[in-house]
Amino acid sequence: MHTPHMNWLTFLRIYLRSFLLQSSWNFEKLQNLGFYYTILPGLRNIYGENVPEDVRERHMGYFNTHPYFATLVAGTTLRLEEGSCAGEESPIDAETYKNMVMAPFAAMGDALFWGGVRPLAALIGLLIASQGSLWAPVLFLLIFNILHMFFRGSGLMLGYVQELRAIETVQKCRLPDLAIRLKESTTILIGVLCAYLSFKGCEHQELPAVWGFVILPVVLLFAWLAHKGVSSLFLVLLTTSSLLLLALMF
Amino acid sequence: MVAVDYLLAGMVSVLTGLDRVAFVQVMISRPLVAGPLTGWALGNPLVGLEIGMLLELLWLGRLPVGAAIPPDDTQVAVGATILSAGTGHFAGLDGMPLLLLSVLIAIPLGKFGQVFDKLARHVNDRLAISGYNALMSGNTAKMERCHLLGLVSFGLASLTTVMVVVLIGTFVLFSVAPFLIGAVQEAGLSLQYSLILVGAAVLLGTTNVNRGISLFCTAFIGTLLVLWLR
Repeated sequence: MHTPHMNWLTFLRIYLRSFLLQSSWNFEKLQNLGFYYTILPGLRNIYGENVPEDVRERHMGYFNTHPYFATLVAGTTLRLEEGSCAGEESPIDAETYKNMVMAPFAAMGDALFWGGVRPLAALIGLLIASQGSLWAPVLFLLIFNILHMFFRGSGLMLGYVQELRAIETVQKCRLPDLAIRLKESTTILIGVLCAYLSFKGCEHQELPAVWGFVILPVVLLFAWLAHKGVSSLFLVLLTTSSLLLLALMF
Repeated sequence: MVAVDYLLAGMVSVLTGLDRVAFVQVMISRPLVAGPLTGWALGNPLVGLEIGMLLELLWLGRLPVGAAIPPDDTQVAVGATILSAGTGHFAGLDGMPLLLLSVLIAIPLGKFGQVFDKLARHVNDRLAISGYNALMSGNTAKMERCHLLGLVSFGLASLTTVMVVVLIGTFVLFSVAPFLIGAVQEAGLSLQYSLILVGAAVLLGTTNVNRGISLFCTAFIGTLLVLWLR
């Protein structure tokens, strides 16, 4: 295996450019332009100013993965390009690798970040915001972005240093299991938030707290409706119109 | 509210709008952050925080996966905050009723955000083709320009959405406020809590977890008992 020779400045450029991965997101080839834009400093490092036409062509095809996993793909892709440029034999080329991992990484990222970390951080933020504290958005951003920034940075390094073995390392991290744990924690926090709001509502209406339990079946019913595909907008309209009608009648 | 305030709010709208897809994605686009940021630009961050709380959970379960475009809750939060901290006062409204009316009016207008976002992505289709052609002809700088121009289409989509929310919202606010303000005042806190509870229910319904209902019910009953008996 050849000696890697990408310097830290190139890594920094790729890392910063990855924040612009989706700037030209389009229906045709999704993140294709963004991915090329992200890895361009690395390609220049390997091939010089004039990147060969076949290399340009293969990195401008359809590409779509989770934006936070893109650096991991970029790291391995560049290492494979380096090997290919040095005439090294590899079981797969950079293009095949990209096509192979983008969908599984997208699914992993969606479940972990959009389905796990984000709702959990949002609920923690909401519980703090319900006390009227302006620290809530700050804390939400901190919780979410510590993991996000770490993931982008370490993904790039991991992909470059470990090349194809990075896939095994990601598998060993058992990220889908972590996503499930985070979703379970989110579900618990939803329960805590709903109970807290029910309690405050009873306090405000000067009702005994036991009346708060009435909210439980209502929330479950709405959750079931949402699960069946009823839109949030419809549920908001239904709740609002019912409450306003009650207010007008009594 | 003076022109500078509107300008600042417009900048917040573009910045938070870009964060949704096109730039960085550090989640300043979430209503819980975009609301207070807009409120801060208009001199009242607490109004933005209240609005962010009401909107945060509503579409949180709608994942921005692939080509799926959820309603623009960012611009709904920014627009509702502008209505509540700014234009609404011209209708002689104030406080919690104004805040609730602003949110209720802005929520359906979030659908416009989907339309403008889709348009921006179609504009980017052309940019992607131009970028590809430029790169294949050896003009890397033009390819980079094409890519970065995508930020303009996403930024314009955000700005247009918030303008629609504020303009239509102001018109609706002036039209319906005299009829609804009494009922909104009466429903007050119940309406506020209900919106968050609807969001929580939607999130619960869209989070696919085994034993989810048991976990939720245990947490709910346990917390309520602790609060009740303490």
